[in-house]
Amino acid sequence: MKNKLIMFWAIIAIVIACVITIYKVPTKLGLDLVGGSRIMLEARTTDSVRKITPEVMSRLKVAIDNRVNKLGVSETSVAQVGEKRLLVEIPNVTDLKEAEAFLGKTALLEFKQPVLDDNKQPKRDEKGLMIWESTGLTGEDLKSAAIGSDQTGQWTVSLEFNGNGANKFAELTQKLVGQQMAIFFDGEEISAPVIREAIFGGRAEISGGSSGFAYEEAEKMVNLLNAGALPVPSEIIQENTVGPTLGADSIEKSKFAGILGVGLVMLFMLLYYRLPGLIADLALVVYALILFALFKIIPVTLTLAGIAGFILSVGMAVDANILIFERTKEELRAGRNLFTAINSGFDRAFTSIFDSNMTTVLACVILYYLGTSVVKGFALTLAIGVIVSMFTAIAVTKNFMHLVFGTGELKYPALFGLKKDELGKAYEVTETKREKARFGVLD
Amino acid sequence: MFNLNKSIHVVKYRVVWMCLSALLLIPGIIAMVYSMITYPTHSPVKVGIDYTGGTILQYGVSEAISNEDVAKTREGLSEIGVQNPYIQILNVNPTEENKNIKSIISIRTKFIDETSNEADDITAVVQKDYNGAELIQVSSVGATLGNELFKMSIIALALAIIGMIVYISFRFKLEYALAAILGLVHDVLFVVGIFSILGIFCDVQIDGLFLTAILTVIGFSINDTIVTFDRIRENLRYYGKKMSFGEIVDASVNQTLTRSINTSLTVFITLAALYFFGGVTTKDFVLAMMLGVLVGVYSSIFFCSMLVDMWEENKMKKAAQKAS
Repeated sequence: MKNKLIMFWAIIAIVIACVITIYKVPTKLGLDLVGGSRIMLEARTTDSVRKITPEVMSRLKVAIDNRVNKLGVSETSVAQVGEKRLLVEIPNVTDLKEAEAFLGKTALLEFKQPVLDDNKQPKRDEKGLMIWESTGLTGEDLKSAAIGSDQTGQWTVSLEFNGNGANKFAELTQKLVGQQMAIFFDGEEISAPVIREAIFGGRAEISGGSSGFAYEEAEKMVNLLNAGALPVPSEIIQENTVGPTLGADSIEKSKFAGILGVGLVMLFMLLYYRLPGLIADLALVVYALILFALFKIIPVTLTLAGIAGFILSVGMAVDANILIFERTKEELRAGRNLFTAINSGFDRAFTSIFDSNMTTVLACVILYYLGTSVVKGFALTLAIGVIVSMFTAIAVTKNFMHLVFGTGELKYPALFGLKKDELGKAYEVTETKREKARFGVLD
Repeated sequence: MFNLNKSIHVVKYRVVWMCLSALLLIPGIIAMVYSMITYPTHSPVKVGIDYTGGTILQYGVSEAISNEDVAKTREGLSEIGVQNPYIQILNVNPTEENKNIKSIISIRTKFIDETSNEADDITAVVQKDYNGAELIQVSSVGATLGNELFKMSIIALALAIIGMIVYISFRFKLEYALAAILGLVHDVLFVVGIFSILGIFCDVQIDGLFLTAILTVIGFSINDTIVTFDRIRENLRYYGKKMSFGEIVDASVNQTLTRSINTSLTVFITLAALYFFGGVTTKDFVLAMMLGVLVGVYSSIFFCSMLVDMWEENKMKKAAQKAS
């Protein structure tokens, strides 16, 4: 009993923490539910790309998509408009300046080598600046970028090249020992370190010159590099904040309908399963609170697809309770006493709950890693929902059941929606019947 | 042995359930094949602007727009046959050139020509609802969900199914896994089939949400089936020697019947509330899930159990023949 009380207070503590989280952390809703900012980008030609072809546009679209949808669950949308424009929609972003800075950069990373004169000395222009030429090593050879720091505590950007890039980099550094090599980001020279020895293994570090990088600077660069370079620069030609794609009018109605639906489900549980039904309803409230708190912490951008995953997981949470209660009722009918009936009801229902939920979680993991935006959002919310529902069914419902019913005899079978004569009497039960009862089968 | 009200006979009326499944699926399959041959997209269902792209018409309006206004416009548009448009309100910061425009109504629909009657019709509806609304921009917009994206989702789904087969085979048996997956295919084919029919006869187009609805249907289908199988597994452990496999299947289905119906009912209640009282834009999405829940209950009770029974009995017969 003491353990049960501790568990009860732990549940209360979790609920309070969740309520505070829900209250403090803002919800992230998707374009379909709240809208966001709508930005029209137009591709610009450069010296190397003189014509905007459909092929360039599709590469630009992919690159922009990668940038705005960094984690894959931000539920952004990118569509081509006309011949050289992209319509980008980002939910929740109100700071258009931020978006602008992020979308406009090409993130073209280039490694350049000095142009040498006949004496193997670097050539310089009239101003005395070194003249650089391309080495063919660019951001495309990059596997990943990360923020690092050097011995002096300055922020740096560390790079890891892919197989091809690592070979190219090793070759270049071998050739340029004793020379400088410059790193250009978006056409701007960032640093030009002297190569002391050939570097194998495909790792390099960019320092921000003598003054170093500010952390934000390094972070922005890493984000841009990881998202990939734009094939051509693009310019923002129009920007607006925009209402939800599903229409504010529709959402208002659906909100009401959703609340009505959940209310009806709770009413059904109460009428059909009586007191356990009420406990299940309470567990469902705890479940919803935990789930929403998690959505806010992670954070998950909720779209209609995510809400579908949520509805499905609520269905599974209710299902877990129904399974348990049906099993408990069977045990009661078979003549077990209340305490044992509740316990074995849980034990027996558990294998069904475990196997069905694990199958779902497994499928979600695969969908999350391989799927694209819509599928990803769905898989994430469903997986979280299913795991939390196992916790609430096992921990919350069971705990409440034991606390409410105690260990005594079931005096009022009506509390379970059972009739008195349906109840088997434990003390009248023969040995064989008890054995059968253990297998959950009625004689 | 079992003193239950055996109201359902899975094994005895095997042929009936097979015919019923065929009856549920065949019209949809015919519609899908027909669609794949006749539609320019060669898709089994009619696809909407999320997949095909379309046209955005933007109207400048000098007043603020309320939700009721949008609902009215949506109704007006559906009366002239504009199916499932995306209607969004853009808030505009007044600039030098457009001082009179406070908000913009953006209507995204299928491809239409700027000079066609259809565009004029839409403009008429908008101008009827908002005084002085003027068409300020028409542009064609590409698909937000391209073919590539769809293909990747299908590949992910296929791998997820393989993962489920492995898990269920590990926890149960390969036969159970295959039966569960066939049940899932049964349910998905039914829902997609119905939407294919709706596409042909009622011009219902599927949008990006349809894929999510199908995923939900799959989730339900698998969940339901596994609970039934779990009971078969449990009963088999204790009664495998005393009863025939068919009897055990029948008993297990009846034991889990109340739970199967109650669970589906609770989900169905929520969906029904969303369908009848919720917004217009999500109606088809909810309809797909409702159909999925209904067919999912049927398939896990009858279709999947029947398959497992058939395979197991065949196996036992073969084993018996070998022994003799």
